[in-house]
Amino acid sequence: MPDFLSEPYMQRALLAAIILGPMCGLLGVFVTARRMAFFSETIAHSALTGVALGFLVGFDEPTLPVLLVCCVLAVAMLWLKEHSALLTDTIMAVLLSSSVATGVLLLKFQPNRWADLDKYLFGDILSVSWDDVRIAAVVALVVVIVVFRYLNPLTLLATNEDLAHVSGVRVRPLNYAFVLLVTLTVALGVRLVGIVLVTSLVVIPAATARGFATNLRQHLVLGTLLGLVGASGGVVLGYPLDFPTGPTITLTLAALFVVSLVYSRARRRRASSPLPVPQP
Amino acid sequence: MTLEPATPVENALEVEDVHVQLGDTRVLRGVNLQVPRGRIVAVIGPNGCGKTTLLRCLLGLQKVDRGEIRLFGKPIGPEVLARVGYVPQRLQVDPSFSLSVREFLALRRRETRFWFWQTHRATDAHLRETLAELDAVHLLDRPLAGLSGGQLQRVLIAYSLLGRPEILVLDEPTAGVDTPGEHSFYELIASIHRRLGLTVVLVSHDLGMVFRHAAWVYALNGVVCCEGPPEEVLDAESLKAAYGIHVAPYHHHHHAGHPHAHPVVAPPGQSVPIAFRKR
Ligand SMILES: Nc1ncnc2c1ncn2[C@@H]1O[C@H](COP(=O)(O)OP(=O)(O)OP(=O)(O)O)[C@@H](O)[C@H]1O
Ligand SMILES: [Mg+2]
Repeated sequence: MPDFLSEPYMQRALLAAIILGPMCGLLGVFVTARRMAFFSETIAHSALTGVALGFLVGFDEPTLPVLLVCCVLAVAMLWLKEHSALLTDTIMAVLLSSSVATGVLLLKFQPNRWADLDKYLFGDILSVSWDDVRIAAVVALVVVIVVFRYLNPLTLLATNEDLAHVSGVRVRPLNYAFVLLVTLTVALGVRLVGIVLVTSLVVIPAATARGFATNLRQHLVLGTLLGLVGASGGVVLGYPLDFPTGPTITLTLAALFVVSLVYSRARRRRASSPLPVPQP
Repeated sequence: MTLEPATPVENALEVEDVHVQLGDTRVLRGVNLQVPRGRIVAVIGPNGCGKTTLLRCLLGLQKVDRGEIRLFGKPIGPEVLARVGYVPQRLQVDPSFSLSVREFLALRRRETRFWFWQTHRATDAHLRETLAELDAVHLLDRPLAGLSGGQLQRVLIAYSLLGRPEILVLDEPTAGVDTPGEHSFYELIASIHRRLGLTVVLVSHDLGMVFRHAAWVYALNGVVCCEGPPEEVLDAESLKAAYGIHVAPYHHHHHAGHPHAHPVVAPPGQSVPIAFRKR
């Protein structure tokens, strides 16, 4: 057994990465297709209010209050989207900045917690508890079941909501279910990668897979695998280098993204030059 | 003088006194229409007159403030929508979405559920056959997001046909199709209509097409300001009523015989289909 695995906190972190990485990668394919990257960003930032509120109310572990506050914010966003003429972008920007401001103020009132601010912003591998791993496993199970049970409706929904409705998809409930699953996943990812970086775990694997995939099936499979490789690779690489986990995961994913970018550019160039270059 | 239709024709679609307000605009102000089964019916009218809104009402995408809509005699719901094929006016597919045409079409087939679009040989043959009809087999493995406007329209029609619809609802199906393409496009819809006996409701700005293929035309402008067979609606006076300005009529030779050659169920309260029902 590699020596880093003898550390219990590393076992927990690696397990969390193995569960959360593929889950983020899988959902990320739909998140990017539906232009919801900024939504993930908003949810992640609202976790700060969850953390601060949780401590204020007397929780020792912020996981549950974070999940709760993130879900409330997601529902508030969906409600505002349906009941106002505002652009989704605008609604999210308002919610993001207000929840960060609330979180910062609430933390300021608890001086012993204020020192830990960077752990929430950029992730803290030591903070991942066995409870977190268990909750992540349960959410992952639900995500896998829902995504594969409702793969056709979800795909149609990502293509066009009107077409999905006419094709018999119950658009509104499915939309809420999808948004809540993304919310739970992002909220859990905050413990591992941090508020500021968690969106990278959702968006980058899907974006990387897009460069290689020629259809949705490949996109989903590759996105899931890349999420797994990036998240667990980041945890494993960070240990000997003594790097913080969040940024290491994000940079691992970013490196894979650059490879995909180079690959897809090369492929496009090959496709767009049908005539062989004459040899001198 | 009453002129009863020889045999009562069952209506695929009935719209009764439908009112819709969007924001401050009263878009539909009491729209009535009947579409008999197996007909091609066209809805024409100027931009912003509520054509798309009307179609969205038919599909349950837009709530009506007042009035009633029945498809095959039933209120709009998942059960009747299963018998409808819809081709929207525009469909934006995000380029970051990798869905291929094959996968997209497979979504319409029940047997692909739980199978991750694993193409069975039978499904594959079916998709090819449907695309072949629309001259689009070569698009099978292309990404949906990379298609041109006209290619996308063909794929969307293939998608709706795969659901074995009884009524096809098309919103400006040739938006984004070049002129020669447009011509063959309507020929295509007309031939599908003939072969499958579908009811077709379509919105179009192309009066030439409407004249050639539609059995009945509704000119919409908040209300149905004029309806009838195309050779009557598409003359200068009724177009003026519909569009509010002078529009050159569609030139055509007059057919000998009856203008009302088509059995049409009269609107409620009227026994004769009225061609020039002006406001
Ligand atoms: N969400 C909305 N809020 C307010 N008004 C709207 C909304 N959607 C559409 N409208 C208005 O409703 C009217 C009808 O729009 P609709 O899209 O049905 O027109 P259309 O006949 O399909 O036009 P076109 O030929 O350009 O496709 C327009 O005047 C439009 O400005
Ligand atoms: Mg329109």
